[in-house]
Formats: sequence, C-alpha cells, structure tokens
Amino acid sequence: MPAVPLPEFPMWAKFGYRFIVNNFVTLFLVGSMTAVGWELLQLGPDDIMALWRSLQEKPIETLSAVFLVAFVAALYFMSRPRPVYLVDYACFKPPSTCRVPFATFMEHTRLINSDKKSVQFQTRILERSGLGEETCLPPANHYIPPNPTMEASRAEAQLVIFSAIDDLMKKTGLRPKDIDVLVVNCSLFSPTPSLSAMIINKYKLRSNVRSFNLSGMGCSAGLISIDLARDLLLVHPRANALVVSTEIITPNFYAGNQRSMLLPNCLFRMGAAAILLSNRRREAGRAKYRLAHVVRTHKGADDRAYRCVYEEEDAEGHSGISLSKDLMAIAGEALKSNITTMGPLVLPMSEQLLFALNLVGRKLINPEWKPYIPDFKQAFDHFCIHAGGRAVIDELQKSLQLSAEHVEASRMTLHRFGNTSSSSLWYELNYIESKGRMRRGNRVWQIGFGSGFKCNSAVWKCLRTIKGPVDGPWTDCIDRYPVDIPEIVKL
Amino acid sequence: MHTVLSVDAMDLLWMIATVLFLYSSLSFLWKAFDCRRNQNCYLFDYVCYKPSDDRKLSTELCSDVIKRNKRLSMPDYKFLLKVVVNSGISEETYGPRSIIEGREESPTLDDCDDEVDDCMYSTLDELFHRTGISPGDVDVLVVNISMFAPAPSLTSRIVNRYKMREDVKTFNLSGMGSSASPIAIDLVNNVFETRKRTLAVVITSESIAPNWYCGTDKSMMLGNCLFRSGGCSFMLTNDPSLKHRAKMRLKCLVRAHSGANDDAYSCAMQNEDTDGRVGFHLSKSLPKVAVRAFTENLQALAPKVLPVGELALYVIRGLRHRLRRSKETKAYAGTAVRVNFKSGVEHFCLHTGGAAVIDAVGSALGLNKYDVEPARMTLHRWGNTSASSLWYVLGYMEAKKRLRRKDRVLMLSFGAGFKCNSCLWEVLRDLEDGGAWEDCIQAYPPQSLVNPFMDKFGWVNEA
Repeated sequence: MPAVPLPEFPMWAKFGYRFIVNNFVTLFLVGSMTAVGWELLQLGPDDIMALWRSLQEKPIETLSAVFLVAFVAALYFMSRPRPVYLVDYACFKPPSTCRVPFATFMEHTRLINSDKKSVQFQTRILERSGLGEETCLPPANHYIPPNPTMEASRAEAQLVIFSAIDDLMKKTGLRPKDIDVLVVNCSLFSPTPSLSAMIINKYKLRSNVRSFNLSGMGCSAGLISIDLARDLLLVHPRANALVVSTEIITPNFYAGNQRSMLLPNCLFRMGAAAILLSNRRREAGRAKYRLAHVVRTHKGADDRAYRCVYEEEDAEGHSGISLSKDLMAIAGEALKSNITTMGPLVLPMSEQLLFALNLVGRKLINPEWKPYIPDFKQAFDHFCIHAGGRAVIDELQKSLQLSAEHVEASRMTLHRFGNTSSSSLWYELNYIESKGRMRRGNRVWQIGFGSGFKCNSAVWKCLRTIKGPVDGPWTDCIDRYPVDIPEIVKL
Repeated sequence: MHTVLSVDAMDLLWMIATVLFLYSSLSFLWKAFDCRRNQNCYLFDYVCYKPSDDRKLSTELCSDVIKRNKRLSMPDYKFLLKVVVNSGISEETYGPRSIIEGREESPTLDDCDDEVDDCMYSTLDELFHRTGISPGDVDVLVVNISMFAPAPSLTSRIVNRYKMREDVKTFNLSGMGSSASPIAIDLVNNVFETRKRTLAVVITSESIAPNWYCGTDKSMMLGNCLFRSGGCSFMLTNDPSLKHRAKMRLKCLVRAHSGANDDAYSCAMQNEDTDGRVGFHLSKSLPKVAVRAFTENLQALAPKVLPVGELALYVIRGLRHRLRRSKETKAYAGTAVRVNFKSGVEHFCLHTGGAAVIDAVGSALGLNKYDVEPARMTLHRWGNTSASSLWYVLGYMEAKKRLRRKDRVLMLSFGAGFKCNSCLWEVLRDLEDGGAWEDCIQAYPPQSLVNPFMDKFGWVNEA
C-alpha cells in the first residue's frame, strides 16, 4: 500500500512554526519580563519605596534567596563539562613534483601492469572518479614499478606529518613542550617505534606526554582520534592535544589484477592533517571551533558490513584492500544508525517535535503515513562528508537531501586532493573557510566512513567568523573553484 | 496578630531557605563523592593465552629453524644458538605455526590472521565465560598488537565475531612496543573518568609470524631468538557494584617517554637491513637507554608509591651522599643512592625482556631472589611474550598464592620508543586462580634454569 504523503505547508507557516518552537524559552522569558516590567511601571514611586522597605525588613530571607540563586547558578556552571576547543589545524600541501595527472597515472599503469584488462578497468575507474589532474602520490609510487620499502614509507610519513605539524606550529605559536597529549592515526602503516614516537623524537616532546598510536581503523579514524583526545581533555585540566591524521600510501600499492582490489590504487592520494585541541580557557579567545558532539557507530557485528572493506591476499599472493559492491548500501545503513543517535543531540526542537508527532501518529493513528525524515539542514550550516569517492558523496547527498552547495567542499576536495582518507575532512573544512563561508555560530558536521564498518560524526560550533585569505592547501587555487566535474572524463 | 503572623512567615521562609541550601550542598557533595566512586579502575579478571602443545619450540627445533636460513655462516649460527641456550628460556615456550611448519620466510596473510585469532578468541571466550559478562555489555574495546595492523582493524574483527553493540568504543593501538599494556590501561582509565558504570575489555599480544627476520644482520636476529607467542585478555570496569568480584584496583600509572633523545628513539627499531629485508634492530646502547628511561619513570613513580617515611629517608641519604662526595670525590663517585621500593610495594611484575634486564631492574629496585622469581620463571616458561609478559608474571604470583588482600603490585615494562611505563595495583581480595600456570605451577621453581641441552650445544659457549 502506498504511504500517505505528509501535507505541504506554505513557507511562512513553516518559518513561523520553527521560530516559535526553537525560541520558546527565550520568548517565554521575554514575555514574562515584559509583563513584570509593565507592572513595575504601573507602580508609583511610593509603592516602589514600600516594596524596597519590606525587602530591607527581612534581610535574612532576601540574603538567603540571593545566596540560593547564586549557589544554584554556580553549581550549574561548575557541573558543565570542560569545553574542548579546536584552536587551529593545518593540512599538508603536496609539492607539485608529486603530481599525478591522468596521463602519468595511465602511462605508469600500462608500464607496471601487463594485464590489458586491468589497465582498461583502472582507466574506466579514473574517468568516473571525480579526481582532478593535481592529486599527488608519494615519491616512491612514481617509480616504475613502485618502491614500497619501509625506509620509503618512513620518508613519506616524515614528509607529510612534519610539514603539517610545522605549519600548525607556525600558525598557532605552539611550542613542543606545551603538548600534553598526542594522538596519531594512520591505518595502513604502523612501524615500531610508532609514528607517535617518531613525532616525539623529532620535536623533542616532554617525557610525560600521553601518546597513543591508532592503526588499522580506516578512513574514519580521524574522528576516533578526536574522540580519544576529547576524553583525555575532559579529564586533564589545562591541556593541549595534538592530533595527527594521515594515511601513508607507499607500502600499499596493489601489484595484482583483482578488480575489487585495484580501486584503492586509483583513488587514494597523499595527505595529512595536524589539529590542535585545547581545554585551556585562554584559548577560547582565538580558537576557531568548539567540539559539541562526537558520535561513533560500529556496524562490525553484521558480517556483510564487516567484510565490505577488507585487506586480503589475492590468488597470486599480492595483498591489497578489497572493496565490495555492497559498499554504498552499507554506508547508507551505517549513516542511518549514526543519525538516529545524532538526531536528538543536534536537531532543533521544531524538527524533533515533528519527528515525535510523526512517530506517534504512525503508531497510533495511521501506520501508512510516510516516515518523517528530519531536515538536517536545519541543524547544520556546513557539511564535511568524507571524500571517499564520487559514489559516496552522491549517496549521502541523496539520503540527507543536501543541495549542491552543501556537498561542494567534499566534491572539490576529491577533485583537488583525491581520497586522502582520514585527513580529507580537514581539507574540506579548509575549503569552506577559504571560500569565506564560515561565520560565527555556524555548525559544522563532519562525517567519516571507514573499514569495520564504521560511521563516525563530529559536530563543531564556529566561535569566530573566519575572514580570508586563509592560509592552507587551498591558498593558491581557491579562486579556480568550484569547478564543474563531468560525469566521465574521456581518457 | 499581624506581627505574630509575620514572625511565623519569617520562620517558615527561613526554614525553606535552609532546607534548600542543605539540599543543594548535599547533592553537590554526593555528586563529588559519586564522581570519585566512578574514578576507580578495577581489574575484574584476566586470562593468559596458552597455545596448544604442538606449537612448542624446543632448542632442537630452534636449531633446525636457524639452520634453514642458508644465508647464515657458521659464526652466525654459533652466535644465535648461544643466545638461545643462554637465554633462560625453557623447552616449553611457544611459536607460531608458520615457523614450526617451515614457512617462516614467506608467511601468508592467513598465517598472520590465524596466529592472532587463535590468541584473541581463545582468551576472550574464556574471559567472557569466567566473568559471566556478555559481549553485548562491553562498552570499550582496546587491542594492542604492535607489529600487525590489518584492515579492518583487529578491534573490528572482535566486534564482528562477538556481535558487539554499535556504540562500542574501539581503539586499535599499534606500534607501541612491549610496553603497551600500561598504555592501554591509561586509555581505558581516561575513558572511565568521563563515563559511569563502564566495562572495558583489553587484548594485548604480539604478532611473530609476519616479523620473522631472514637476513644476516646480528642486531636483528636477536628478536628471532627471544620473542615467543603469548597474549592476554583482561577486563576492566569502574562500576562500583562489581567491586566485590574484582581482583585488583588501579592506584596510579606513570608513563615516561624518552623518544626526544635520538639514541633512545633508534635503539629498538623496525628497519630494513642492507639487503632490504625488514627486521627488528636492537642496538648496543639499549641497556643504557633503558636505564635512563627507567630512572625517569621511577622519579615520577616514587612519590606516588613510597610512604612518606621512605621518601624522607631517601632525601636524607641523598644529602649525606652529596656531602660525602664533595669531601672525598673518588670514593663515592659513581655510587647511586638506593631507594627501598619494597617499603611501598609487595610484589613486582617485571617485564621479561631477558635475563639480564630482569637482574638489572631487580638490583636497581633492591629486590632479592624471591622478588624476581616470578619474572625469571615467566621468562623460563613462556619466553619474552612482549606486552603480555606482565600478565604471565602476575599469573605466577597468583598461582603461587602470593597475592593477599591489601598487597600492592607494581607492573613495570619497557618498550620501543623508548618508553618505560609502570602501574601500581592494590589487591582487593586473596587471589588463588591457577590460570595458564595451573598445570605446571607445582614444578616451579625448578632445580636449575640451565638449558638441558647444554651438553649437546654447550660447545657454542666455547671460543
């Protein structure tokens, strides 16, 4: 039986409803204060003096009342959790010598891979990928065949991570001895000593720095690191946390011919981001964002979801990451679960009320009513969707009913930088800032997907309007964007 | 009449104000107390991994494996066998199947998966069975395996196998070396301080199969000789209602990272040798680096662990030492002031990095043979199982019925980076589980730790 569609209301009615419900408390307070003020104005000066004298006669009561109000207010403020500020962040800007235009990629592929069908397959992927001509691969991948030694992997890690951290230190004036917490996430390269130890060694961090190195956690690991840093900052007062998100490409070139494993070669590119979080009160003045929520959803209990991004060896013993055909469907389901938890935390009262009424209606009145999908555009001003691939962005645009401008940051990041895995969310955020769209009070929703299968979200609130020009990886090319990305680029 | 009424009204108001004030202060105090209650990190239970007997690595088998590497010359062979024979490791330790079956030079991804899965699943099955906790109740999951990090992560693998909840917080730590157990505990402890009634499961182990070194660089061959298969799963909670079933309570944790020093950072490092083969390089400066990291850790640990009396004595001894040194420089130069850690700690879980490490740490802490026995016996029975070795040492103490209520246990470990991490536990009740030592604890300590094949292979110790 077809679902009964919800009635369409005129624009002014929708606006009026949202305004009244979302600002209910403010309206109530303003209303009551106006009423009291009006009453006071009616009183003559004698009445006011009488009122004042009666208060003076009962000093204990007045004092207790005042004290009580002050005490309750103090309790309220003290019990609120420490805010976590994002002071600033920096993204790695790859040098143009590492550029991999389509022609280079295809030529290398033809020379490395003798199987014509594999080459054709990769060509087709690249044509439809949404990537541009300026994405970059690390130096080791420019060799024919690529040279994935541990030394080369460490060199790539040092290049991307140290550049990002140097940049961040210059922007924020952060000194190495001020770093209390260090969280590093890199999924596919995990040497011993860890990348966190490498950073401690290079920048001579303190010996009691709390470092954690997360690995294997996929493209959504950036938000897992933020979650961990946040937990640490909630517990340790006056602390700075440095979060480094990256993916090291060098050791992960797939040298075989299995199609499901060739996709990462075409899409993954070099990138890294370094983020400074702090809970120090004095950073509130210059911090860009405040972390409002982090919601993590793990669908690993479902076998299909668990296997959809999987590292395995093909028949010839080459290891690579296999992507299943169910990826889009699974991403959609993971997102739905994440939204279910996220919704009540971020949606304005108007949307929650509508959703609740719809739910009640469907249960009690008529089960054929179409389920109401809350409008997340009411809750957020900007969206940073992990630039996993064109299909992921299309899917999310459809399911969240977003406009082209909302997903512009994701599409353009995919075009300019490729899929940089966990750091892509920060390139997208930088795009929005570079375009001068970030205003004080704006809320940003970062959504990451990754192997496991996980869907993680973070919600940030912008603390100050960010004026251009913004120093970052988009500085020299932001004026060229947005570009029109054709469905297929003929190669 | 009017005045009587107003007095009553005044009293009433006063009473209400007082009641409200008392209520707010009481609820504030309760909140503070409640927070404190939830800040305790309890060790609910732990299970050490016991591989099947067909994976035992005897000296004979080790010798065969070494001989299989045709690139080695006779002096190299002699050197390696000497390390094995003098290591204090028995015939009962375990290795991965790929090595025993002759595939050490080309392990497949399946070999690595199997090795890790066997350890994780068998220990977790037993842990859930013993505690009666269902996997669906786990809120936080941490895995630390330093040298193997596939995608999806090992935490995802566990979530999949045990069908854990969607909102489980997972963390997959990797590359953090032999000292990662206290790091995982630190992570969980931090999460505990932000949430109430939380249950965490931590799995710690090491992956040997993909990391076998098949080259000729001596500094990288030591790892092959000393590392053995082992692992542990343990459950932590901050739920006060589970306190009566818990084994220990965490009192403090200290982490010291000396990675800022270049020697420290590069003394234990995974690298390619001159032929391009990846191995774990252990440099000659390792002991010196370890001492420095150890000292740093102790400096932070001592004030938290030792009673005030001992600290005062230490300061006095230090001053006396200083005065004597300034008067007679030669006689006292080089001697350090000793601190008696036994005044604040009853049991010592030392990382079983090797016989030399245990002895050095033992003498630095002022320990006798009885105190280092659990670590020496663990090295003998299980070899160097990397991050999980602390738990085997703890298991020995428990099987020997040494752990009594109110005893304090110090766990101390070293790891690549270079880190020295320690944590102090308080035992909550008399502990008696045999655990992984159940079937052999009666035979310990053995009469002699000397390798039984000394006769056959003793020639390696001669010139």
